[in-house]
Amino acid sequence: MGPLAPNEIISENTNFLLAFFIGIAFGWVLESSGFSSSRKLAGIFYGYDTVVLKVFFTAALTAMLGLLFMSLFGWIDLDLVYINPTYLTSAIAGGVVMGVGFIMGGFCPGTSFCGAAIGKIDAMVFIGGLFIGVYGFAFTYGWWEKLYLARYLGEPKISDKLGISDGLFGLLMILAALGMFVVAEWAEKTFAREEY
Amino acid sequence: MKQLKLLALIIIPLGIIIAAMPADKVKQSRLTPDELLQEAGAGVQFISPDVVADMLVQKDPSLRLIDVRTPEEFENYSLPGAINVPLSNLLSDEYTDKLNQDAYMNVFYSNGSVYANQAWMITRQLGYENNFVMEGGLNYWFGNILSPVTPSQTSPDEEFARYDFRKSAAAALGGGGVISSDAASPVSKAVKPPVTAKAKKKPSGGC
Repeated sequence: MGPLAPNEIISENTNFLLAFFIGIAFGWVLESSGFSSSRKLAGIFYGYDTVVLKVFFTAALTAMLGLLFMSLFGWIDLDLVYINPTYLTSAIAGGVVMGVGFIMGGFCPGTSFCGAAIGKIDAMVFIGGLFIGVYGFAFTYGWWEKLYLARYLGEPKISDKLGISDGLFGLLMILAALGMFVVAEWAEKTFAREEY
Repeated sequence: MKQLKLLALIIIPLGIIIAAMPADKVKQSRLTPDELLQEAGAGVQFISPDVVADMLVQKDPSLRLIDVRTPEEFENYSLPGAINVPLSNLLSDEYTDKLNQDAYMNVFYSNGSVYANQAWMITRQLGYENNFVMEGGLNYWFGNILSPVTPSQTSPDEEFARYDFRKSAAAALGGGGVISSDAASPVSKAVKPPVTAKAKKKPSGGC
């Protein structure tokens, strides 16, 4: 049956419409859980607030379990689900740039729009920087092309590389995430701050 | 901490369930249009009537002929041992276990190749394997296997080998050029005389 759009069960336009509503819901949930505060977001780097880690890992686990079970029930064909191709060098470089930008700006791209939506000036400045970065990269693409396309790995899955089933990797992922949550809770107590 | 325990209580059992499932159950494969186009373009689905005839004569148990014509046409004449899966009912549930399997080599046939090829396309798109199409269909079968044309004097040796094979196959399969369409049921049981001239020509292709 699924995925809906590649199997042409819904049209490309309906797909965009659904994405629009899901996007609104996503933004609303982000904002209402405090993700429009750059101090809260930056907390992950200092340990006093780890809500970012908890929220995004919970989201990843939910999506992972949902996809695996839907595939098990024959509701979705995981082979048709788009996987972002991996270019190892640019993934590492991008991760570093993203991390530095995150701690410096106090936002990640999605949450900056959340902040801007409720009128935060720092978030708007962040978005400005984001566009400078996007256009800067696009116009100087020639300089980066080699780095950008280096060490192409296709669409690898960690479970394939380890030679274990997707389900078993899912279980390991759950245990790892729960372990991280425990550490995160400990960090929040240890590095607690009164007001932020 | 309480929330964390609750979360753990929910997701760990789910993780254990999904980890305990066999890997291939967690996956169902379908062909993308691109892959299908590539396979169809390469013609991997076609199997020559000579190979089918040889398998029939040898009574190869792995062969399963599937007639995709209408039930009336099937009643009228069918190849020995064939089952009828009309193209219009191809997707009905009663045939799924016959089409999606790995025990037999299914060979679709129709009067020509078109309907059989359509059946192959549809089943292949669904990710089914072990389905093939008899090239040329029944028209070719009648014109060449059951009533082979004597090659001219100057023909290469393979032509004669093929002719000999076809002649013996036709004899074994109740052909010999005197096929009338009412001779349907005797024909399908006429696999009896093992006059099998032990196929001179090795079948080419196949699975």
